[in-house]
Amino acid sequence: MDTVHLPSRSVSLAAVAAVRARAAGATLRRLVAFTLIAIGTLVTKAGKSPQVMRPLMTEQVFRVGVKLVPIVCFLGITLGIVIVGQIVTVLQTVGAVKFTGMLLVTVVIRELAPLVAGLVVLARVGTASVIELATARALGEVEALEALGIDPIHYLVVPRVVGFTVAVATLTAHFVLLALVSGYAFAFARGLPLTLTGYFGDIATALSWADFPLLALKTSLFGAVTGMIICYQGLSQALRLEEVGAATTRTVAQCVVGCLCIDALFVPLYLLL
Amino acid sequence: MSDDAVIEMSGVAVANPHGSDVPVVASVDWRVVRGECWVVAGQQGSGKTTVIETAAGLRPASRGEVRLFGEPLPSSAGEAMARLRQRVGFVFQGAGRLFPDLAVAENIALPLRYHRHLTASESAAELRPLMEAFQLERFAHLAPGRIGRAWARRAGLARAMASRPELVLLDNPLEGLDAVHLRWWRGFLAELVHGHPWLGGKPATVVIATDELRPLLGIGTRFATVDGGCWKVLGDRGAVSASDDPAVRELMDERN
Repeated sequence: MDTVHLPSRSVSLAAVAAVRARAAGATLRRLVAFTLIAIGTLVTKAGKSPQVMRPLMTEQVFRVGVKLVPIVCFLGITLGIVIVGQIVTVLQTVGAVKFTGMLLVTVVIRELAPLVAGLVVLARVGTASVIELATARALGEVEALEALGIDPIHYLVVPRVVGFTVAVATLTAHFVLLALVSGYAFAFARGLPLTLTGYFGDIATALSWADFPLLALKTSLFGAVTGMIICYQGLSQALRLEEVGAATTRTVAQCVVGCLCIDALFVPLYLLL
Repeated sequence: MSDDAVIEMSGVAVANPHGSDVPVVASVDWRVVRGECWVVAGQQGSGKTTVIETAAGLRPASRGEVRLFGEPLPSSAGEAMARLRQRVGFVFQGAGRLFPDLAVAENIALPLRYHRHLTASESAAELRPLMEAFQLERFAHLAPGRIGRAWARRAGLARAMASRPELVLLDNPLEGLDAVHLRWWRGFLAELVHGHPWLGGKPATVVIATDELRPLLGIGTRFATVDGGCWKVLGDRGAVSASDDPAVRELMDERN
């Protein structure tokens, strides 16, 4: 019986995989088209209608960034103790203290901090934004904006993408600072022979000047891609109530994949440093 | 194509808003001249809303040509389309589709603040006469969800009127109103047709979609129906009153 069923199962799995791949390709094409339109709007309408757009952008930066400072600080302190503290302790134990700076720069500053900031923003604000935009779409607010001669991409998408971009970049900075400080505090509390100047001196030595613009670029891209996917999923179609859950799950999955792809693109750049 | 034509639709197939390939209305040939008040009547779901949304450039036509103020509608939503839309006021059905995160006054001021870069105080000063005329001052700082549906619709009308449009399209404005609101709306529409002070006393070009002809018989100057996917221009009031078309009689007698 197995010899009869296995080929058909493998054929059907291949067919499902092909259908999924085609659907993913189509989504990616639409997402790229949406992104290009949004970038075009951002560039051509930069500085237009400041009386309306500035408060919208400020509100988004506050909502996505400022309001998440406490949770990011909390995560920075706890993950600093858990990860930085352990790294420092293990390095001391195996006598590889000279690698402390290099490891912390690679693990915490380049990788962990942008991902944590991006994921916190996605979890706390991203999913809510999808629902908010999908509801706006379903209630005809997009048509209402068009009827007033207001570009919905300019009014709804640009402030959110700017908000997410600024928020992920600044929250990453908060996370890095607190993780490194709490990691040192943990190591100090455990009585490890590590001076404050030595600890931060090692990190400073391991950091390259290129790390700063690269980190800013990476975190900005995380925020921009997250914001773009959220807006696309919220506005691409009028969602019925029962479709909202699936749309938010899809958004989270696509944002994580998007951020990890960007992360992977930065690896060769970091290896050159 | 004369200069005083405001809406011109020739051989327009009105696309189905739900994505089907079959058009809602097969062929619309329509010409609205400056100063006219058209009443487009049809039963619920007949496609009258889609017709006026297509005329306003909010939906693309699946076939034919639509011209607004003598210009063909741009194919994409760019600056040209935005400029054209600023000359049109569109009042949506129901609660006016106000933006829930803005207060009533902010909703009404939005087009002025966006297009003319006015500050909050400048737009409030400019819109004060409109807010007073529409009796909306007491709701100015409330969220749209905290005011009644009829008042929200009136706020939607105020938002559409804020930029002093040359063409006003209203989707079922009298639907579900109580006697007081109904009287106000009929008075407003009559004033709009003859010359509203907010528009400098000049008669506006008005298009009203409705599923009840009778309340608008004294206001409209030209009439058309959408029935069974067909567009039909009836003519003036006399033609409507004299029509023996069963669809027209039904729209006249509804809830009578």
